[in-house]
Amino acid sequence: MNIRLPTLVRTTTFKLALLHSVLFTVFVLGLLIYLYASTVVYVRAEASDSLDAELSELSLAYSQGGLVRLNRSVRERQFAPGSRQFLYLLQDAQGQKISGGLSALPPDIPLDGRQKYLFDVEIIQPDGEFISRPAEGRAVVLPDGGIILVAYDVGEFQRIVPHITRVVWTAAPIGLLMSLIGGIVISRSAARRADALAKTAEGVMAGDLSRRVPVVGSGDEFDRLGEQLNAMLGRIEMLMESSRHVGDSIAHDLRSPLTRLRNRLETTLAEPMSQEMAEDTLGQTLGEVDNVLATFNAILRLSRLEAGQGGPMLRTDISTLAEQLAELFEPACEEAGLEFVASIGRGLFVLGEKDLIAQAVSNLLDNAVKYTPIGGKISFNAARERDGKIILEVTDTGPGIPAEERERVVKRFVRLEESRSEPGSGLGLALVEAVGRVHNGQLELGDGGKAGAPRGLRARLVLPKA
Amino acid sequence: MNILIIEDDEDMASFVSKVLTEAGHVVDTTHRGDMGLTLARAGDFDALVVDRMLPEKDGLTLVREYREGGGVSPALFLSALGDVDHRVEGLQAGGDDYLAKPFAPSELVARVEALGRRQVSEAPITVLKTGELEMDLLSRKVSRNGQKIDLQPREFRLLEYLMRHAGQVVTRTMLLEKVWDYHFDPQTNVIDVHISRLRGKIDKDFDEALLHTVRGAGYRLQA
Repeated sequence: MNIRLPTLVRTTTFKLALLHSVLFTVFVLGLLIYLYASTVVYVRAEASDSLDAELSELSLAYSQGGLVRLNRSVRERQFAPGSRQFLYLLQDAQGQKISGGLSALPPDIPLDGRQKYLFDVEIIQPDGEFISRPAEGRAVVLPDGGIILVAYDVGEFQRIVPHITRVVWTAAPIGLLMSLIGGIVISRSAARRADALAKTAEGVMAGDLSRRVPVVGSGDEFDRLGEQLNAMLGRIEMLMESSRHVGDSIAHDLRSPLTRLRNRLETTLAEPMSQEMAEDTLGQTLGEVDNVLATFNAILRLSRLEAGQGGPMLRTDISTLAEQLAELFEPACEEAGLEFVASIGRGLFVLGEKDLIAQAVSNLLDNAVKYTPIGGKISFNAARERDGKIILEVTDTGPGIPAEERERVVKRFVRLEESRSEPGSGLGLALVEAVGRVHNGQLELGDGGKAGAPRGLRARLVLPKA
Repeated sequence: MNILIIEDDEDMASFVSKVLTEAGHVVDTTHRGDMGLTLARAGDFDALVVDRMLPEKDGLTLVREYREGGGVSPALFLSALGDVDHRVEGLQAGGDDYLAKPFAPSELVARVEALGRRQVSEAPITVLKTGELEMDLLSRKVSRNGQKIDLQPREFRLLEYLMRHAGQVVTRTMLLEKVWDYHFDPQTNVIDVHISRLRGKIDKDFDEALLHTVRGAGYRLQA
């Protein structure tokens, strides 16, 4: 026994099993009592009926052939094999026995023929012994003054009563015991499975996140619970994994600028330098620190978003927002030697947070400006799709993103090899993706250019309409 | 300007105090919310710099009670909570501006100075003047030295904001918030490009530049 009894007794399953066995026993007892009552009543009624039939048959024999015929009938019946064995006594008007197995008429028997009478009879056993048996019978006075008595041995039935009682008294504890044993077995198996859950939880709390609840495959409640717990553990493990990954990435990403910073300060300290050079160095240093802070802010923003801590979602006018963003970015595009075309539909609304959507679209436009070579083109579209969804789409003629990299680039800190030299934190697309997700939309990446042209990038933020 | 700093983190308080003192302001500091409210009511400050998380009385409650008591000095919230809803809460409580930590000292100075100036210019103004530059807010006309300058609507708003804060440093983030009404960090130089366009219109044909770039901080319009 790997489960101590007190623990067992405390389990819900055990209590239920106990309750069940008590109810079961009560039910069985009730059934037995019912069976006993109805059996005895039935047997008695049946005996009484056949006694009546016997008497009326004998009466018929008497009316047809008088005492002689009756006497013959009694003799025949007395020794006839099979069916119910009745006891007979036929005596004449003088009280002399004519035939029958009974030796004499019981002294107090009523002679009206209607009332049954219980008396003791002496029966000769095959071995010659006399035994006394209870019998029940009726006596009828014949028209000539003779008496016919027909009786049956009630000892048979009366023996059934204690027998049934005994059966009941034996069956009840056996039933109780068996249902208790069943309850304990059920309880133990349930307790064992609950124990497995507890052990897994213990293991997880001790730090082993790869632990899983065993699932038997029976599809019962424990399996369903186990599956849910396993799914939850899987999600927790994934989150832990990703936050560990983010931690590593942060360390990695911030280490390079901080190291550069430190080295520059150290060299600056070591060398005598002019006022102008010192100012220059400090200016560059300030720029680097600003970058580090910007990365920190982006991480914070992203983490808040991923933890679902956005602001309130309001009905937001996407048309106006897109127009303002186009107006904001248009000069920057021109400055970078890029053609900028905006096509913005009217009356576009989504349920969302204005600043988040603006930040997301601004990230896409930023990327396009940053990566599209001079002479290229950036198209910015805001439109309603046929299915009612609102799209905000930025297409450029830059190098694009190879199809196999598209899933990866939306992850935090992922930057393509070719763009490592460009300034940036690797958080831009991750933020757009997260913004899409909190709005129940998504970010779709595709090729922007036509065949033969540079691949280009088409980044499309799809949002459900308001 | 006379500025009251209410900030429980002593390092942060002395940093803010140092930054504002160096910028030429007179600074009082307290570390407790209830003390801050008493001081704010008693003294005549040009601006309050209030941390959101304070012992005894949090920043939001402090400013709300200060406003309910009739206090008019503008208040700037400092907070580690930088998201939109928190900013909205701050403004609803009676704050005039909101700055998330960490922040650049120049950003803090620029915003505090913008607050102080705003209070002074409460009376309705129809014409703004910065040296030779003149802006008529009613007819929406701009001229320099009598020479008419054509501006796009957005350029007009940008210049208006710069002129209202003439002599002060305004940061890129302030411009994005006040002129475009966006609260996020654009990664590229979008604001710079708008400024350089505006500069091309108001400074290009003249000897003296009015719109200056302040390195590491932002811009200043100064005659």
